[in-house]
Amino acid sequence: MTEKTISIPYNFHKADAESILQEIGKEKALLALDEMLKIRNFEKRGEQSYQMGKVWGFYHAYTGQEAIQTGAVLALGKEKNLWVTTYRCHALALLLGMTVEEGMCELYGKVNGNAQGRGGSMHFYTDNLFGGNGIVGGQWPMGAGLAFSLKYRNIQNEVAVCFGGDGSVVQGAFHESMNLAKLWKLPLIVVIENNQLGMGTQIQRAICNFPIGENFAKSYAIKSYTVDGMSLPHCYSVFKEAYQYATKEREPVIIEAVTQRFRGHSISDSAEYRSKEELERIKKDDPIDQFCELLKSKHMITTDEIEQRQKKWNDIAVAAMKFAEESPFPNVLSLEEGVMAK
Amino acid sequence: MAEQEIDIREALKQAMDEEMERDGDVFILGEEVAEYHGAYKVTKDLWEKYGDKRVIDTPISECGFAGLAIGAALTGLRPIVEFMSFNFSFVAFDQIVNNAFKMHYMSGGRFKVPIVFRGPNGAAAQVSCQHSHNVESIYGHLPGCKIVSPSTVYDSKGLLKSAIRDDNPILVLENEMIYGKKEKIPVDEFLVPIGKANILVPGKDITLISHSRMLIHCLEAAEVMAKKGIRVEVIDLRTIKPLDIGTIAQSVKKTGRVVLVEEGHRFAGICAEIASEIMEHCFDYLDAPVERVCQKETPLPYSPPLEAETIPNVRRILSALKKVAQGLLT
Repeated sequence: MTEKTISIPYNFHKADAESILQEIGKEKALLALDEMLKIRNFEKRGEQSYQMGKVWGFYHAYTGQEAIQTGAVLALGKEKNLWVTTYRCHALALLLGMTVEEGMCELYGKVNGNAQGRGGSMHFYTDNLFGGNGIVGGQWPMGAGLAFSLKYRNIQNEVAVCFGGDGSVVQGAFHESMNLAKLWKLPLIVVIENNQLGMGTQIQRAICNFPIGENFAKSYAIKSYTVDGMSLPHCYSVFKEAYQYATKEREPVIIEAVTQRFRGHSISDSAEYRSKEELERIKKDDPIDQFCELLKSKHMITTDEIEQRQKKWNDIAVAAMKFAEESPFPNVLSLEEGVMAK
Repeated sequence: MAEQEIDIREALKQAMDEEMERDGDVFILGEEVAEYHGAYKVTKDLWEKYGDKRVIDTPISECGFAGLAIGAALTGLRPIVEFMSFNFSFVAFDQIVNNAFKMHYMSGGRFKVPIVFRGPNGAAAQVSCQHSHNVESIYGHLPGCKIVSPSTVYDSKGLLKSAIRDDNPILVLENEMIYGKKEKIPVDEFLVPIGKANILVPGKDITLISHSRMLIHCLEAAEVMAKKGIRVEVIDLRTIKPLDIGTIAQSVKKTGRVVLVEEGHRFAGICAEIASEIMEHCFDYLDAPVERVCQKETPLPYSPPLEAETIPNVRRILSALKKVAQGLLT
């Protein structure tokens, strides 16, 4: 963690990374590595496509934050639970079953994209991922609604998981949702992905009370955790615990995951608010590198094998670019179709 | 056929009651809807019948509970959100517009949002600038929703039932001033289709089109004109979006003269939209420029004489009717 981070008195979720890794087991650990490499390479090639003029609009990369959502889906499973997130949504969609091709085609605005070219970068979905939402903080009430639905239908062993950035916790929608979630005892895991920047504004200039999750949670008598969002084992561990709490107590829980994004807020952000030296320092915390070191130290993988896996996901992402390039745009005659449900 | 004489308030309640009995996924939430029976008593007795699970009092938190209901609708539940008045829907505007209206299209058709937002719309009596909005042209501008605004007991019940069964976000715009309006309607179940206007009074000389409470003034004005020998055809839009241009055009092609009345403001209003549609579809049939009677371009003032002047009234409607009737009147 960087100096700025340390200046905030975070009470990080304590867990021994090595014993969590044992619990995860080799097979699932390597799966998690694969997922993180898939996300990293998808974002790299998506941004490259943008620079090539093949992708337009906004593009918010998840690069640097991979451990959080990878840990969450590893802990909760991809088949069940209801999920919703922000415009920084590529990773969660990939984790919940969207293919690399489907995602890339959506970025390219193609008819075989994840949302048939209607949504673009900020609006990816799976059958249990309700976006990909473009307005900062707009997803919080919907997340509470997903949890409400589980309660209404008396589904005991599932939760709703709603992600949002540090910038969104000062929106009224966040506070209304926290109040409703606690008042109505909704099984909702609220994840504040604190990458310490709301676009170009440091959290210290935007929020009045730290740590964010811990303090806001207190206001609503909600249980909270703060976790090192750069550590996959810690993220896995905290989500597992939060899930157990939310399903057992039928209550909301807040997780603040302290993280770093390696890219600008979006692709059009040159990130002049952060020096090259600072970025280099931040990158020393790379969640993928950290996890690889841990796996190697436990002899679960070799450097060569890591390189092979990296190459595999790079090749898949590059092939997806070609596939997307060659895929057809939507027929303009379909423009007005699907505005209303039949 | 057995009939019952009830008011609009009771008709709306019966619609919700019948649909809640029919489908366990239908539930109501909003401020004061349960124990208090609704600020205007529209949800009377429903909490007693269905309990806390399905008739839910919310805190004063429109953004929160409207967005929560949208999230629930995405999973297939069918919420009815009561806004104590549609003025308060503005606090939830982002949720309604960005999350409810756009989700189906934006997700490539993956998700549906079967949700009803209902409550009183428009001015009541001297409730002043911030409590008197007509929201139909504000929401109607945006693709992804349907808007109904009934004026009769029959339509209030039938349209709300159709709205609850529809798989899209629907605004049901009621009017506080006519909740107590009574009519005889069938006891047996019926539906009113969304998207169909209704001819309240047939006529051959002038087409007079409006919706909701303003139809009371329109009917009165039509009667006055009838005494002068001018037969005004009064059309109740019932559904604002999608607009039933077929019924409108058929009437205009017959009469060649049109007056449009709306409680909301003139600029970019529903009348402006209808006038444009008429121009596109019936240009060759028009014998006079289309006239509009709308709310004037001010925030709605408190003082009674000012309020009475800014909202369309019989005098202003008659004046417009006479203007388009030139050549007909002898």
